[in-house]
Amino acid sequence: MPKKLEEKIALVRSAKRLSAQQVISQLITDFFEIHGDRQLGDDRALTAGLGFFHGRPVTLLGVNRGANIQQRQEMNAGAVRVTGYRKALRVIKTAEKFKRPVISMLNMPGADASVFSEQHGQSQAIADLILAMGQLTVPNVTLFLGEGHSGGALAFSNVNKILMLENALFSVASPEAVQAILKNQNQTRDASEYMPMTAQQLAGIGLVDGIIAETPAKTLYERIDAGLLAALKRLESLDADALKRQRQQKFARLLSC
Amino acid sequence: MSHMPKKNRWQVCKHCGKHVHELQWAPYFRCPFCHYLQRLSVPQRLKISVDPESWQPMVLPKQTSDSLQFPGYQDKLKDAKKISGESEAIEIGTAKIDNYPVALGIMDSHFMMGTLNTAVGAALKQIMQVSLTQKIPLILFVASGGARMQEGIYSLLQMNSILNEWQALLDAKTLVINVLTDPTMGGVSASFGFKADYVLAEDKAQIGFAGKQVIAQTSHEILPANFQTAEDLLTHGLVDQIVPRERLRSSLATLLKLHRGK
Repeated sequence: MPKKLEEKIALVRSAKRLSAQQVISQLITDFFEIHGDRQLGDDRALTAGLGFFHGRPVTLLGVNRGANIQQRQEMNAGAVRVTGYRKALRVIKTAEKFKRPVISMLNMPGADASVFSEQHGQSQAIADLILAMGQLTVPNVTLFLGEGHSGGALAFSNVNKILMLENALFSVASPEAVQAILKNQNQTRDASEYMPMTAQQLAGIGLVDGIIAETPAKTLYERIDAGLLAALKRLESLDADALKRQRQQKFARLLSC
Repeated sequence: MSHMPKKNRWQVCKHCGKHVHELQWAPYFRCPFCHYLQRLSVPQRLKISVDPESWQPMVLPKQTSDSLQFPGYQDKLKDAKKISGESEAIEIGTAKIDNYPVALGIMDSHFMMGTLNTAVGAALKQIMQVSLTQKIPLILFVASGGARMQEGIYSLLQMNSILNEWQALLDAKTLVINVLTDPTMGGVSASFGFKADYVLAEDKAQIGFAGKQVIAQTSHEILPANFQTAEDLLTHGLVDQIVPRERLRSSLATLLKLHRGK
């Protein structure tokens, strides 16, 4: 029985939701974390670093909301700050230099909303990361563990292959924001009935390349492992130009219909 | 246009509340009392920015598909067309500034707050291609509240696909100048808004990513007085220059001249 939007929202925002840090600790060996954007600070919402995935070095970008109040505060509940986008940019440039694929894993409401991020150029940082991810000369893959909205999430998911956990969400704005517009129109139905944002809907329009079932929970890591490995395998024969072209065509095809 | 009443020749300044005669507004639409700038329509913008008779508009490559059939969207589009006199939130074309040919994109905030949707995105990509193939500089007058919610993920994906097109301009070393006008926000600010060799801003324009209300509610911060104004962005090193509308045309002409129009 497919879950309703509000059930999905509750699931992905729960403290018990699978985090990028957990996935990294289960599937990656010799993980080496990278801190800081070298300009303003270190965004704790973004775990960045490198490690071995099936014996091959990869770069990882994991956005976490935090599992308890203290972590949620530290991690700004997953709202990546200007420093996070710049850290990511730095880390993917190194990935490019050493020809490592990039895997991003997301559970984030959207970009940070604060005076600090605005005054230090969050708009440009997001634009830079979107552009750089699209032009990357190595394969990149995104796994939506929870939700991801707005340009902030797009910055991490302008990639060759997008995977989503079965209850994950990806949208132009949070379901609440969409719901608010609907309410003005006296519509009380789920925002997702009008707007594709669930994994199933986004797979239907060709944005999402694979959905990973969340049950049985016991073997979830194995399915994530297999999903990521298969996605990277499909990209390994492509050279730099082919990778760029594949990304470009993936999105162009979607927008042409 | 929209803010110019059809019969009444006097109009209240939205900022200071004083009555201003239409002859005092034109052609720059700056209040003579408080110096507040009105948002311009595309014809008003063209009149003060390009050589007379040089504007060659292009048909927009794509009309809004409304594939999601979002409730109320058709009515909003109809109203927006009536209010703005435009078919979408942008016009594209070629023109001359001091005899230098340029490719132009002019966004109109009177059309659903200039929001970025499939049609606006397609127009921006088209004008970038025109600039590339005709080897003429690109000038964008940006005015937008961000991504248009009613087209959902399709609006969001304009951000990366426009940037992808922009990369070709960068590779070809094409001159790109963006003029940020009131407002430049959200998905527009965080995609092509600042992607230019020169980023100019009109005075007092609101420029940022997240809306002020959202920031105040989320962060519980007291927002600084000048927050998200062009002046604040200049102080923080985020724009190259604030150019008053009265000097914009000559500033653009100078930049074009300094690059020998290429």
